[in-house]
Amino acid sequence: MSQELLYWQALNRAMDVEMAADEAVFTLGEDVGLYGGSYRVTEGLHAKYGEWRVRDTPISENSFTGLGVGAALVGMRPVVEIMTINFLPLALDSIINGAAKIPFMSGGQFRMPLVVRMPGGVARQLGAQHAQRLEHTLMNVPGLRIAVPSTPQDAYWQLRQAIASDEPIILLEHELLYFSKGPVDLLADPPPMHRAALRRAGRDLTIVTYSRHALLSQDAAAELAKEGIEAEVIDLRSLKPIDWDTCASSIEKSHRLLVVEEDCRFAGAGAEIASALAERCFYSLDAPVRRLAGLDIPTPFNGTLEAATIPQVSDIVVAARALCQSGQESKAS
Amino acid sequence: MNRPITMPALSDTMNDGRLVRWLRKVGDPIRKGDALAEVETDKALMDVEAFHDGVLTGPLAPENAQVPVGSVIGYVADDAAQTPGAGRASAAPAAAATAAAPAAAAATAAAAAATAKTPPPAGATAPAGSVRASPYARRLAQQLGVDLTKLDSGQAAVHADAILDAAHRTSKSDLDAGPPYRIAPLSSIRASVARTVIRSLATPVFRVAAELPIGPLKSAAGQAKVSFTLMLARAAALAVKDNPLLNAAYTPEGLALRERVDVGIAIDTPGGLIAAVLRDVGARSLAQLAADWHGLRERVDSRRLKPEDYRGATFYLSNLGTFPVVHSFDAVLPPGAAAILCVGAAEGERAVFTLGCDHRVLAGADAARFLQSFARQLAEPGTLAGGTP
Repeated sequence: MSQELLYWQALNRAMDVEMAADEAVFTLGEDVGLYGGSYRVTEGLHAKYGEWRVRDTPISENSFTGLGVGAALVGMRPVVEIMTINFLPLALDSIINGAAKIPFMSGGQFRMPLVVRMPGGVARQLGAQHAQRLEHTLMNVPGLRIAVPSTPQDAYWQLRQAIASDEPIILLEHELLYFSKGPVDLLADPPPMHRAALRRAGRDLTIVTYSRHALLSQDAAAELAKEGIEAEVIDLRSLKPIDWDTCASSIEKSHRLLVVEEDCRFAGAGAEIASALAERCFYSLDAPVRRLAGLDIPTPFNGTLEAATIPQVSDIVVAARALCQSGQESKAS
Repeated sequence: MNRPITMPALSDTMNDGRLVRWLRKVGDPIRKGDALAEVETDKALMDVEAFHDGVLTGPLAPENAQVPVGSVIGYVADDAAQTPGAGRASAAPAAAATAAAPAAAAATAAAAAATAKTPPPAGATAPAGSVRASPYARRLAQQLGVDLTKLDSGQAAVHADAILDAAHRTSKSDLDAGPPYRIAPLSSIRASVARTVIRSLATPVFRVAAELPIGPLKSAAGQAKVSFTLMLARAAALAVKDNPLLNAAYTPEGLALRERVDVGIAIDTPGGLIAAVLRDVGARSLAQLAADWHGLRERVDSRRLKPEDYRGATFYLSNLGTFPVVHSFDAVLPPGAAAILCVGAAEGERAVFTLGCDHRVLAGADAARFLQSFARQLAEPGTLAGGTP
């Protein structure tokens, strides 16, 4: 039985369910309490669970993320909200040197049931310091897991799974997805947290993507279908680990891979996806793997320029078409 | 010195042979006349013999691979000291199977000269390593026994399509048995038709025919001042709307169901066959369709057809009725549609319509129901001209 929920509402429901079920679950961050969260994710929780479990913090990312790490060490299940991924650099010491290392360096004596949630991505004219994608930074840290839900249903499932997990999990939300709507079945059994989702079946090429660009890629696939190109769209849902099997079996069928990401192209998330799949699927590829990614520049404030720095639906259509046409040009002109 | 062992031409129709197994291994001393390997030709199993005394040396072509005549499959060294490839037999590159040594090209050229054929294009002498081919194309070439060096794909790189085309096309030996010939390059249209019909080979097709009166439709076309073919497309599209399964396409995931009826209409051109696609034939007015049809015909004549003009049809129509001798015929069903309607010439006021159907989508009764709907449209063409809003 599913209902239509906004992405933030789905996250809010997940928080509520987990907090009601387990007193060890609490959340902390800037404006999560009285204000209800910058994107409303903790709305109503302060009134329901009180200031002890829904804690406003000062503007001190490394300190309150460190507080989360310490709380996790002693058996709590903290959910740290970093207001946006653009403040993540301040909290990296707690995440990289603390959360990701302690379970390993203690020989497994300590678990790290920590969730760090944050929105990221290019929104609408927030300027270069508020339009970043830093998934590549976290993907290169052993010990972390990274979920990137693109739908309200996945947001609900993956936040609940993250809270239930004893490993440190980063939940990367997208600023432009909070007010997207979709069906959410609160009772359905979720797939494994790191399983990729086949959003659309196709035979001509495989598009591997994640987060908001999973939605744009589906729009692009609908456009492509009108001209007879059937794109298979795989929404990774998780950037660490990545569900390679789902990607590889699709490429073995389509023989063409387009990686679509909002992250900057150079050493971005797509670089890992493209190289790993090229290694694994080399003998199945009928064309070079192609990446469509954000430009390698700080995001401009000007709205037109901003849009030009990240892949749009039309860019995906053009790239997919070009990829499919390699090998189909006619012999005589 | 290392002397190459090449795939011998064991029959005059043999283009390549399958290397079944090596009878000797790298490092074995061998004498002239020894059997080194077993090769399967198009007729029989035969031995490859040594032409020199020495030691067998790698890299050896892999067993079970299809190897073109003249390609190097291994080496005979004068003595064991000159066996750099010893122990590397298993590491022989897979590409070796498709590697045509210059000897292959020389053999081809000689054969061509002997029979006064067109000499092979210069590209044919390039060694396999210099052919730009996708990894998947290389794998397919090996599996299907296609010689990459003999492909002139006209593209920057060889892709899987070119390999599949080559694997399906007429073998050269069939031609060589006949009179001298020359090769005219395929027009892009013929090349594309060839690809499409080859892809359609896997479609299980059955046919149902009906002889129907066409007088009313002919006069309706005259009144509306549109072509008879366009009226046929219109009538067929309305009948498809009554039988939506005719508008489906089979995919491994399930049936692709489409609301809009886009009719691909076969057009005869000097360069070959084109199926121009008229969009939404079931819902738009006849005037709009006639304008579109006119535009399509113009672009066909000026050879300015765009991909969207000939891709994505959901139903096909082929009308040979302009040739009075044609009683009836059936056509190849292109991929992406469930049916093609073939129209023969009128005999009196009647013509034979043959519906070719994809049996994965349709059954005989579906075809019969469609033909009944179509017959109704033909009998009462009054509803066709006005169009639905």
